Amino acid sequence: MEAPPVTMMPVTGGTINMMEYLLQGSVLDHSLESLIHRLRGLCDNMEPETFVDHEMVFLLKGQQASPFVLRARRSLDRAGAPWHLRYLGQPEMGDKNRHALVRNCVDIATSENLTDFLMEMGFRMDHEFVARGHLFRKGIMKIVVYKIFRILVPGNTDNTEALSLSYLVELSVVAPAGQDMVSDDMRNFAEQLKPLVHLEKIDPKRLM
Amino acid sequence: MGTTCHIMPVAEGKSVQQTVELLTRKLEMLGAEKQGTFCVDCETYHTAASTLGSQGQAGKLMYVMHNSEYPLSCFALFENGPCLVADTNFDVLMVKLKGFFQSAKASKIETRGTRYQYCDFLVKVGTVTMGPSARGISVEVEYGPCVVASDCWSLLLEFLQSFLGSHTPGAPTVFGNRHDAVYSPADTMVQYMELFNKIRKQQQVPVAGIR
Repeated sequence: MEAPPVTMMPVTGGTINMMEYLLQGSVLDHSLESLIHRLRGLCDNMEPETFVDHEMVFLLKGQQASPFVLRARRSLDRAGAPWHLRYLGQPEMGDKNRHALVRNCVDIATSENLTDFLMEMGFRMDHEFVARGHLFRKGIMKIVVYKIFRILVPGNTDNTEALSLSYLVELSVVAPAGQDMVSDDMRNFAEQLKPLVHLEKIDPKRLM
Repeated sequence: MGTTCHIMPVAEGKSVQQTVELLTRKLEMLGAEKQGTFCVDCETYHTAASTLGSQGQAGKLMYVMHNSEYPLSCFALFENGPCLVADTNFDVLMVKLKGFFQSAKASKIETRGTRYQYCDFLVKVGTVTMGPSARGISVEVEYGPCVVASDCWSLLLEFLQSFLGSHTPGAPTVFGNRHDAVYSPADTMVQYMELFNKIRKQQQVPVAGIR
Protein backbone atom coordinates (compact mmCIF):
# COMPACT_ATOMS: atom_id res chain seq x y z
CA MET A 1 0.00 0.00 0.00
CA GLU A 2 1.32 3.41 -0.87
CA ALA A 3 1.90 5.81 1.96
CA PRO A 4 0.57 9.31 1.37
CA PRO A 5 3.40 11.74 0.70
CA VAL A 6 4.66 12.78 4.10
CA THR A 7 5.13 16.37 2.91
CA MET A 8 1.38 16.68 2.89
CA MET A 9 0.94 15.43 6.43
CA PRO A 10 0.53 17.96 9.21
CA VAL A 11 3.45 18.73 11.44
CA THR A 12 2.34 17.12 14.67
CA GLY A 13 3.37 18.30 18.09
CA GLY A 14 5.83 20.83 16.75
CA THR A 15 8.17 18.23 15.26
CA ILE A 16 9.06 17.95 11.61
CA ASN A 17 8.75 14.62 9.86
CA MET A 18 12.19 13.39 8.97
CA MET A 19 12.78 11.33 5.87
CA GLU A 20 15.52 8.87 5.12
CA TYR A 21 16.88 8.95 1.57
CA LEU A 22 18.62 5.70 0.72
CA LEU A 23 20.76 4.20 -2.03
CA GLN A 24 22.16 0.69 -1.72
CA GLY A 25 24.66 -1.53 -3.44
CA SER A 26 27.14 -4.24 -2.62
CA VAL A 27 30.74 -5.27 -3.25
CA LEU A 28 32.41 -8.64 -3.01
CA ASP A 29 34.88 -9.14 -0.16
CA HIS A 30 37.95 -8.87 -2.37
CA SER A 31 36.90 -5.41 -3.62
CA LEU A 32 36.47 -3.98 -0.14
CA GLU A 33 39.94 -2.44 0.13
CA SER A 34 39.68 -0.48 -3.14
CA LEU A 35 36.25 0.81 -2.15
CA ILE A 36 37.47 1.91 1.28
CA HIS A 37 40.43 3.61 -0.36
CA ARG A 38 38.17 5.53 -2.76
CA LEU A 39 35.77 6.50 0.04
CA ARG A 40 38.60 7.75 2.20
CA GLY A 41 39.57 10.06 -0.63
CA LEU A 42 36.07 11.32 -1.42
CA CYS A 43 34.65 11.67 2.06
CA ASP A 44 35.24 14.11 4.90
CA ASN A 45 38.62 13.85 6.48
CA MET A 46 38.28 11.94 9.73
CA GLU A 47 39.76 8.99 11.54
CA PRO A 48 38.57 5.77 9.91
CA GLU A 49 35.58 4.72 11.95
CA THR A 50 34.59 1.10 12.37
CA PHE A 51 31.62 -0.25 14.18
CA VAL A 52 30.14 -3.48 15.47
CA ASP A 53 26.40 -3.23 16.05
CA HIS A 54 23.78 -5.71 17.17
CA GLU A 55 20.38 -5.04 15.67
CA MET A 56 17.11 -6.65 16.70
CA VAL A 57 13.94 -6.24 14.71
CA PHE A 58 10.69 -6.23 16.68
CA LEU A 59 7.15 -6.67 15.38
CA LEU A 60 3.85 -5.70 16.90
CA LYS A 61 0.98 -7.63 15.39
CA GLY A 62 -2.41 -6.03 15.42
CA GLN A 63 -5.54 -6.52 13.41
CA GLN A 64 -4.00 -4.49 10.61
CA ALA A 65 -2.58 -6.57 7.78
CA SER A 66 1.00 -5.44 8.26
CA PRO A 67 2.70 -5.54 11.65
CA PHE A 68 4.43 -2.49 13.08
CA VAL A 69 8.20 -2.83 12.77
CA LEU A 70 10.73 -1.27 15.11
CA ARG A 71 14.50 -1.71 14.96
CA ALA A 72 16.57 -1.67 18.14
CA ARG A 73 20.28 -1.28 17.67
CA ARG A 74 23.10 -1.26 20.15
CA SER A 75 26.83 -0.89 19.87
CA LEU A 76 28.93 -3.90 20.79
CA ASP A 77 32.22 -2.03 20.73
CA ARG A 78 31.34 1.29 22.35
CA ALA A 79 30.48 0.87 25.99
CA GLY A 80 27.98 3.36 27.36
CA ALA A 81 26.52 4.40 24.02
CA PRO A 82 22.73 4.70 24.14
CA TRP A 83 20.56 2.19 22.35
CA HIS A 84 19.06 3.37 19.08
CA LEU A 85 15.42 2.76 18.29
CA ARG A 86 14.34 3.34 14.71
CA TYR A 87 11.02 3.40 12.93
CA LEU A 88 11.03 3.30 9.12
CA GLY A 89 7.84 3.95 7.21
CA GLN A 90 6.75 2.61 3.85
CA PRO A 91 8.78 3.89 0.90
CA GLU A 92 7.14 6.85 -0.77
CA MET A 93 6.13 6.05 -4.31
CA GLY A 94 5.92 9.59 -5.54
CA ASP A 95 8.23 10.69 -8.26
CA LYS A 96 9.66 7.97 -10.51
CA ASN A 97 12.47 10.37 -11.33
CA ARG A 98 13.49 10.62 -7.72
CA HIS A 99 16.87 9.00 -7.47
CA ALA A 100 16.75 7.61 -3.96
CA LEU A 101 14.37 5.53 -1.88
CA VAL A 102 12.51 7.86 0.45
CA ARG A 103 10.80 6.80 3.64
CA ASN A 104 9.66 8.41 6.86
CA CYS A 105 12.04 7.78 9.70
CA VAL A 106 11.99 8.38 13.44
CA ASP A 107 15.21 7.92 15.41
CA ILE A 108 15.14 7.70 19.17
CA ALA A 109 18.02 7.28 21.61
CA THR A 110 17.02 5.21 24.61
CA SER A 111 18.25 3.66 27.83
CA GLU A 112 19.49 0.08 28.01
CA ASN A 113 16.23 -1.55 29.07
CA LEU A 114 14.79 -1.04 25.59
CA THR A 115 14.18 -4.72 24.79
CA ASP A 116 12.38 -5.32 28.10
CA PHE A 117 10.27 -2.28 27.46
CA LEU A 118 9.36 -3.29 23.91
CA MET A 119 8.34 -6.76 25.12
CA GLU A 120 6.16 -5.12 27.78
CA MET A 121 4.53 -3.06 25.03
CA GLY A 122 3.68 -6.26 23.20
CA PHE A 123 6.44 -6.35 20.60
CA ARG A 124 8.09 -9.66 19.79
CA MET A 125 11.55 -10.09 18.29
CA ASP A 126 11.42 -11.24 14.71
CA HIS A 127 15.09 -11.56 13.90
CA GLU A 128 18.49 -10.21 14.87
CA PHE A 129 21.89 -9.82 13.30
CA VAL A 130 25.31 -8.32 13.87
CA ALA A 131 26.64 -5.67 11.51
CA ARG A 132 30.36 -5.04 11.34
CA GLY A 133 31.91 -2.43 9.09
CA HIS A 134 33.11 1.07 8.30
CA LEU A 135 31.45 4.44 8.51
CA PHE A 136 32.17 7.49 6.36
CA ARG A 137 30.57 10.92 6.13
CA LYS A 138 30.38 13.58 3.47
CA GLY A 139 28.45 16.59 4.67
CA ILE A 140 25.03 15.28 5.60
CA MET A 141 25.52 12.05 3.68
CA LYS A 142 26.42 8.91 5.57
CA ILE A 143 28.13 6.04 3.80
CA VAL A 144 28.23 2.69 5.55
CA VAL A 145 30.07 -0.38 4.29
CA TYR A 146 29.26 -3.39 6.41
CA LYS A 147 28.92 -7.13 6.55
CA ILE A 148 25.92 -8.85 8.05
CA PHE A 149 26.50 -11.75 10.40
CA ARG A 150 23.85 -14.27 11.30
CA ILE A 151 23.51 -15.00 15.00
CA LEU A 152 23.59 -18.76 15.47
CA VAL A 153 22.36 -18.93 19.05
CA PRO A 154 19.70 -16.32 19.93
CA GLY A 155 21.16 -13.66 22.16
CA ASN A 156 24.76 -14.78 21.75
CA THR A 157 26.55 -12.13 19.72
CA ASP A 158 29.96 -13.82 19.89
CA ASN A 159 28.91 -16.84 17.90
CA THR A 160 28.15 -15.50 14.44
CA GLU A 161 28.68 -16.46 10.85
CA ALA A 162 28.82 -14.21 7.81
CA LEU A 163 25.65 -14.15 5.77
CA SER A 164 27.41 -13.73 2.41
CA LEU A 165 30.75 -13.14 0.72
CA SER A 166 30.02 -9.48 0.20
CA TYR A 167 29.68 -6.16 1.94
CA LEU A 168 26.53 -4.08 1.83
CA VAL A 169 27.09 -0.43 0.90
CA GLU A 170 24.51 2.14 1.91
CA LEU A 171 24.42 5.85 1.18
CA SER A 172 21.83 7.61 3.29
CA VAL A 173 20.69 11.03 4.38
CA VAL A 174 18.18 11.88 7.06
CA ALA A 175 16.59 15.23 6.23
CA PRO A 176 13.30 17.04 6.84
CA ALA A 177 10.47 16.13 4.50
CA GLY A 178 10.32 17.96 1.19
CA GLN A 179 14.01 18.39 0.46
CA ASP A 180 14.23 16.49 -2.77
CA MET A 181 17.45 18.08 -3.98
CA VAL A 182 19.12 15.79 -1.45
CA SER A 183 18.58 12.82 -3.76
CA ASP A 184 20.33 14.70 -6.60
CA ASP A 185 23.40 15.21 -4.42
CA MET A 186 23.31 11.56 -3.50
CA ARG A 187 23.15 10.49 -7.13
CA ASN A 188 26.10 12.71 -8.00
CA PHE A 189 28.12 11.16 -5.20
CA ALA A 190 27.10 7.67 -6.24
CA GLU A 191 28.38 8.41 -9.77
CA GLN A 192 31.84 8.95 -8.32
CA LEU A 193 31.84 5.50 -6.81
CA LYS A 194 31.24 3.77 -10.13
CA PRO A 195 32.43 1.28 -11.31
CA LEU A 196 33.61 0.03 -7.90
CA VAL A 197 30.04 -0.14 -6.66
CA HIS A 198 26.68 0.64 -8.25
CA LEU A 199 24.43 2.33 -5.75
CA GLU A 200 20.80 2.32 -6.71
CA LYS A 201 17.32 2.69 -5.38
CA ILE A 202 16.20 -0.78 -4.33
CA ASP A 203 12.54 -1.23 -3.50
CA PRO A 204 12.40 -3.77 -0.64
CA LYS A 205 8.97 -4.99 -1.75
CA ARG A 206 10.26 -6.17 -5.11
CA LEU A 207 12.66 -8.54 -3.36
CA MET A 208 9.94 -10.38 -1.46
CA MET B 1 21.07 14.83 40.09
CA GLY B 2 20.35 13.66 43.55
CA THR B 3 17.81 11.70 45.48
CA THR B 4 14.24 12.88 45.55
CA CYS B 5 11.06 12.02 47.29
CA HIS B 6 7.49 13.16 46.77
CA ILE B 7 4.55 13.78 48.98
CA MET B 8 1.04 14.91 48.56
CA PRO B 9 -0.05 17.00 51.50
CA VAL B 10 -3.50 18.49 51.74
CA ALA B 11 -4.09 20.79 54.67
CA GLU B 12 -7.20 20.51 56.81
CA GLY B 13 -9.94 22.94 55.93
CA LYS B 14 -7.97 24.68 53.21
CA SER B 15 -8.13 24.73 49.44
CA VAL B 16 -5.33 23.58 47.17
CA GLN B 17 -4.26 27.11 46.41
CA GLN B 18 -4.12 28.11 50.08
CA THR B 19 -2.02 25.08 50.98
CA VAL B 20 0.43 25.83 48.20
CA GLU B 21 0.73 29.41 49.45
CA LEU B 22 1.26 28.20 53.01
CA LEU B 23 4.05 25.86 51.94
CA THR B 24 5.80 28.41 49.76
CA ARG B 25 5.65 31.00 52.51
CA LYS B 26 7.19 28.54 54.97
CA LEU B 27 9.96 27.81 52.49
CA GLU B 28 10.66 31.48 51.92
CA MET B 29 10.83 32.04 55.66
CA LEU B 30 13.38 29.24 55.90
CA GLY B 31 15.48 31.18 53.45
CA ALA B 32 14.89 29.28 50.23
CA GLU B 33 15.41 31.14 46.94
CA LYS B 34 12.88 31.01 44.15
CA GLN B 35 14.48 29.60 41.03
CA GLY B 36 12.03 29.51 38.17
CA THR B 37 9.20 27.08 37.53
CA PHE B 38 8.82 23.41 36.80
CA CYS B 39 6.34 21.15 35.11
CA VAL B 40 5.86 17.39 35.13
CA ASP B 41 3.16 15.89 32.96
CA CYS B 42 1.85 12.41 32.35
CA GLU B 43 -0.22 10.94 29.55
CA THR B 44 -1.82 7.54 29.72
CA TYR B 45 -1.96 5.10 26.82
CA HIS B 46 -3.69 1.78 26.71
CA THR B 47 -3.40 -1.04 24.24
CA ALA B 48 -6.03 -0.60 21.54
CA ALA B 49 -8.78 -3.21 21.35
CA SER B 50 -7.54 -4.41 17.97
CA THR B 51 -4.19 -5.50 19.37
CA LEU B 52 -5.68 -7.17 22.43
CA GLY B 53 -7.43 -9.95 20.54
CA SER B 54 -4.24 -11.31 19.00
CA GLN B 55 -2.25 -11.10 22.20
CA GLY B 56 -4.87 -12.66 24.43
CA GLN B 57 -3.92 -10.59 27.46
CA ALA B 58 -5.48 -7.78 29.42
CA GLY B 59 -4.61 -4.32 28.20
CA LYS B 60 -1.77 -2.65 30.02
CA LEU B 61 -1.48 1.01 30.85
CA MET B 62 1.57 2.83 29.61
CA TYR B 63 2.50 6.23 31.00
CA VAL B 64 4.50 8.71 28.95
CA MET B 65 5.90 11.49 31.10
CA HIS B 66 7.97 14.60 30.71
CA ASN B 67 9.89 16.51 33.35
CA SER B 68 11.08 20.07 32.81
CA GLU B 69 14.17 19.21 34.88
CA TYR B 70 15.22 16.93 31.98
CA PRO B 71 13.88 18.87 29.00
CA LEU B 72 15.40 16.68 26.29
CA SER B 73 14.05 13.44 27.70
CA CYS B 74 10.85 11.52 27.62
CA PHE B 75 10.06 8.81 30.16
CA ALA B 76 7.82 5.87 29.32
CA LEU B 77 6.79 3.41 31.98
CA PHE B 78 4.49 0.60 32.93
CA GLU B 79 3.22 0.23 36.47
CA ASN B 80 5.48 -2.33 38.17
CA GLY B 81 7.36 -2.56 34.91
CA PRO B 82 10.42 -1.10 33.26
CA CYS B 83 10.90 2.64 32.86
CA LEU B 84 12.40 3.64 29.53
CA VAL B 85 14.35 6.88 29.28
CA ALA B 86 14.30 8.15 25.70
CA ASP B 87 14.73 11.40 23.83
CA THR B 88 11.80 13.57 22.80
CA ASN B 89 11.35 11.78 19.46
CA PHE B 90 9.56 9.11 21.48
CA ASP B 91 6.49 11.36 21.36
CA VAL B 92 6.67 11.28 17.55
CA LEU B 93 6.82 7.48 17.72
CA MET B 94 3.69 7.40 19.89
CA VAL B 95 1.89 9.32 17.15
CA LYS B 96 2.93 6.64 14.65
CA LEU B 97 1.72 3.96 17.08
CA LYS B 98 -1.74 5.53 17.23
CA GLY B 99 -3.37 2.43 15.84
CA PHE B 100 -1.96 0.21 18.56
CA PHE B 101 -1.89 2.49 21.60
CA GLN B 102 -4.70 4.84 22.29
CA SER B 103 -4.28 7.87 24.44
CA ALA B 104 -6.85 8.28 27.16
CA LYS B 105 -7.16 12.00 26.55
CA ALA B 106 -9.17 12.74 29.65
CA SER B 107 -6.54 11.38 31.98
CA LYS B 108 -3.67 13.73 31.10
CA ILE B 109 -2.41 14.93 34.45
CA GLU B 110 0.27 17.48 35.23
CA THR B 111 1.84 19.40 38.06
CA ARG B 112 3.18 22.91 37.74
CA GLY B 113 4.75 25.19 40.27
CA THR B 114 7.83 26.94 41.58
CA ARG B 115 11.31 25.64 42.26
CA TYR B 116 13.06 26.65 45.46
CA GLN B 117 16.74 26.19 46.14
CA TYR B 118 17.77 25.90 49.79
CA CYS B 119 21.49 25.09 50.05
CA ASP B 120 21.77 21.50 48.76
CA PHE B 121 18.02 20.97 48.66
CA LEU B 122 15.82 21.65 45.68
CA VAL B 123 12.15 21.87 46.61
CA LYS B 124 9.38 21.94 44.03
CA VAL B 125 5.87 22.75 45.14
CA GLY B 126 3.29 22.22 42.43
CA THR B 127 -0.44 22.14 41.88
CA VAL B 128 -1.62 18.90 40.33
CA THR B 129 -4.27 19.50 37.68
CA MET B 130 -6.34 17.25 35.50
CA GLY B 131 -7.80 19.33 32.75
CA PRO B 132 -9.11 22.56 34.23
CA SER B 133 -9.47 21.38 37.82
CA ALA B 134 -6.85 21.41 40.54
CA ARG B 135 -6.79 18.04 42.25
CA GLY B 136 -3.98 18.22 44.74
CA ILE B 137 -0.47 19.27 45.56
CA SER B 138 2.86 17.68 44.87
CA VAL B 139 6.01 18.46 46.79
CA GLU B 140 9.29 17.14 45.50
CA VAL B 141 12.45 17.45 47.55
CA GLU B 142 15.79 16.67 46.01
CA TYR B 143 19.01 16.37 47.93
CA GLY B 144 21.65 17.09 45.29
CA PRO B 145 24.95 15.76 46.64
CA CYS B 146 23.84 12.20 47.32
CA VAL B 147 22.82 9.57 44.79
CA VAL B 148 22.37 6.61 47.12
CA ALA B 149 18.92 6.66 48.68
CA SER B 150 19.68 4.84 51.91
CA ASP B 151 22.51 7.23 52.73
CA CYS B 152 20.41 10.36 52.79
CA TRP B 153 16.85 9.31 53.59
CA SER B 154 17.12 10.40 57.22
CA LEU B 155 18.47 13.79 56.18
CA LEU B 156 15.62 14.24 53.70
CA LEU B 157 13.13 13.25 56.38
CA GLU B 158 14.53 15.78 58.82
CA PHE B 159 14.35 18.54 56.23
CA LEU B 160 10.79 17.60 55.31
CA GLN B 161 9.71 17.72 58.93
CA SER B 162 11.10 21.22 59.26
CA PHE B 163 8.59 22.68 56.86
CA LEU B 164 5.85 20.08 56.52
CA GLY B 165 5.42 19.29 60.19
CA SER B 166 2.87 16.52 60.63
CA HIS B 167 2.44 15.81 56.93
CA THR B 168 5.80 14.10 56.51
CA PRO B 169 5.43 10.77 54.74
CA GLY B 170 7.15 7.42 55.05
CA ALA B 171 9.94 6.25 52.75
CA PRO B 172 8.88 5.97 49.10
CA THR B 173 8.53 2.45 47.69
CA VAL B 174 11.28 3.00 45.11
CA PHE B 175 13.74 3.26 47.96
CA GLY B 176 12.51 0.04 49.50
CA ASN B 177 13.60 -2.40 46.82
CA ARG B 178 17.09 -1.22 46.07
CA HIS B 179 18.32 0.78 49.00
CA ASP B 180 21.94 0.86 48.01
CA ALA B 181 21.53 1.31 44.27
CA VAL B 182 22.32 4.60 42.58
CA TYR B 183 19.24 6.77 42.35
CA SER B 184 18.29 7.86 38.86
CA PRO B 185 15.75 10.23 37.21
CA ALA B 186 13.68 7.17 36.24
CA ASP B 187 13.05 6.58 39.97
CA THR B 188 11.76 10.15 40.27
CA MET B 189 9.33 9.54 37.42
CA VAL B 190 8.09 6.30 39.00
CA GLN B 191 7.33 8.27 42.17
CA TYR B 192 5.45 10.89 40.16
CA MET B 193 3.45 8.18 38.42
CA GLU B 194 2.45 6.68 41.78
CA LEU B 195 1.57 10.14 43.06
CA PHE B 196 -0.58 10.91 40.01
CA ASN B 197 -2.34 7.56 40.28
CA LYS B 198 -3.11 8.20 43.92
CA ILE B 199 -4.52 11.62 43.08
CA ARG B 200 -6.53 10.22 40.16
CA LYS B 201 -8.17 7.66 42.43
CA GLN B 202 -8.94 10.25 45.10
CA GLN B 203 -12.24 12.06 45.05
CA GLN B 204 -12.04 15.61 43.80
CA VAL B 205 -10.98 17.80 46.73
CA PRO B 206 -14.01 19.97 47.60
CA VAL B 207 -13.56 23.58 48.73
CA ALA B 208 -14.18 22.68 52.38
CA GLY B 209 -11.15 20.40 52.33
CA ILE B 210 -10.84 16.78 53.44
CA ARG B 211 -7.80 14.63 54.18
